[in-house]
Amino acid sequence: MSGASLYLGLGVLLWLLGLHGLLRLRHPLRRIMAINLMGSGTFMVMVALASRSGHNDPVLQALVVTGLVVAVSATAFALRLAVAHQAHRSRQRPTGEHEE
Amino acid sequence: MTLALASLLLPLGTALLMLLLRLRSGIWVIAASLGSLLCAGLALHEVIEQGVQTLAIGGWRTPLGIRFELSSLTAVLLVFTAMTHLLVAIYAQHSRHSHARNTDYWPLSGLLHASLAALWLSRDLFNWYVTLELLGLVAVAMIILSGPRAHAPALRYLLLSLAASLCYLLGVALLYGRYGVLDLDLLAQASEADHSTRMALLLMTVGLMLKAALWPLHLWLPAAHSSAPTAVSALLSALVVKGPLFILWLLWSRVAPVDMTESAGLLFALAGIVALLAGGWAALRTPLLKTLVAYSTVAQLGYALLALGLLLRWQQSELSVALWLFVLAHGLAKVSMFLAAGEMQATLGSKRVASLKGATQTMPVAMFAFAVAGGSLIGLPPSGGFVAKWVLLQPLLLEPIHWPWALGVLLGTLASAAYVFRVVALSFDRADATPPDYDPDPFAQWLALLPAIAVWGLALFSQPLILWLSEASG
Repeated sequence: MSGASLYLGLGVLLWLLGLHGLLRLRHPLRRIMAINLMGSGTFMVMVALASRSGHNDPVLQALVVTGLVVAVSATAFALRLAVAHQAHRSRQRPTGEHEE
Repeated sequence: MTLALASLLLPLGTALLMLLLRLRSGIWVIAASLGSLLCAGLALHEVIEQGVQTLAIGGWRTPLGIRFELSSLTAVLLVFTAMTHLLVAIYAQHSRHSHARNTDYWPLSGLLHASLAALWLSRDLFNWYVTLELLGLVAVAMIILSGPRAHAPALRYLLLSLAASLCYLLGVALLYGRYGVLDLDLLAQASEADHSTRMALLLMTVGLMLKAALWPLHLWLPAAHSSAPTAVSALLSALVVKGPLFILWLLWSRVAPVDMTESAGLLFALAGIVALLAGGWAALRTPLLKTLVAYSTVAQLGYALLALGLLLRWQQSELSVALWLFVLAHGLAKVSMFLAAGEMQATLGSKRVASLKGATQTMPVAMFAFAVAGGSLIGLPPSGGFVAKWVLLQPLLLEPIHWPWALGVLLGTLASAAYVFRVVALSFDRADATPPDYDPDPFAQWLALLPAIAVWGLALFSQPLILWLSEASG
């Protein structure tokens, strides 16, 4: 029981850390990592909730697996977009103004 | 139910086939949208005849399985989605300025259509998470079709949308941990006003408000919607922001315990009034035409938020009719406005509002479409916007204690009138008109006029529509 609440607390902490990173950081790659931290925190909360009552709840574990698939595809898309954005900016930089 | 499923599967199947066979011809999407529209119309007829229908997917019953429910509201939304997609697809195929021919626009628009249809049909918290995520990813992919300039707003939209999804998902996990069910009706029976429910609802509300661009979480919307290609802007403003709103409405009107809804309702209603004023003010000040139309979306979503707030505060389910009438009227008017704005912007060769000087002379049909759609946004009778406002105002005017809210609606009306007349007044300044760069495209302009006329026709059709929408809210 106490193990589950420890993981529950850690999951919430990871989620908050990710949110903090998303709000404070500017670089696209760091922000994508922050989002992934939020995702890991959420999944940890879900896994902790699944094992809370002694026996494992298969529904929550299935949800985590689905969530992981969604998170991986979204991260791949975000990375591709961030790379394209950086490439566009570095092409513009010689003529354009300095970035923030 | 089979017909509603067909309305979902037709665009999905078409989009997947197009991706697989590397087809990029618009004819297929137009045909699929037409088929989907027919199926949705027949599904609406079926619901009116036989009442609400449910489907347990794969034969798995709740609480383990996922439930689809076809209510009259869902059927109306399916028809609305298919109709908007059909219209925008015809525009994208035939307009010279749409830049959508033979691009990835076509499979993506099919996927968007299918995700929205799945969202309207689902009644399961986790399935909604999946549809929200699909909707967000497809919307971002469609924004970047307009080229590298759109990458920055698209990336910002993507990151915020992913964070919002995770906010929502954490709320779903907390609710499941507390009650052990994900189905909406089972949750509605079980929910109690305790700390974990409050926390879960707060997280889900923040996530959904961010995705629906409801004030004060709207800041990503103007840049994202105005940098997208014209056809995509129309779809995003008319449909995509309404999906999270639908979930928010169901969550608060069904699941939330009564002693929580009163205080939350007040906050929603106040945020709605501020959205009307702040969105209207920003639309009045911006120098760019498409940004003006995008800020008008922020402002108009304020009406929906106000209706939701008052509905929760007074527990008056009739107000949800007003909410959905606003959504339908705004959707039609916004398609018309974005298509007209896109045509004018491409033909006059400038993105600035100031270039519309004398547009009543150079592009009369597009300007007329813009003004007619604007009339419905202001709420001039007998447009769809007027009917929605009338349904909202009736309970407000009955009791003198509610009159301050009516004042808020009046201020919102003045704000929308101000930004619509800003454009219309400029277009009548014919002394030094901006000459068109290219030949105007008359077919695309008439197409932009079509939804504007439809939104005025909504008033004639309002009696059965109000009946269907009130059956769904009861």
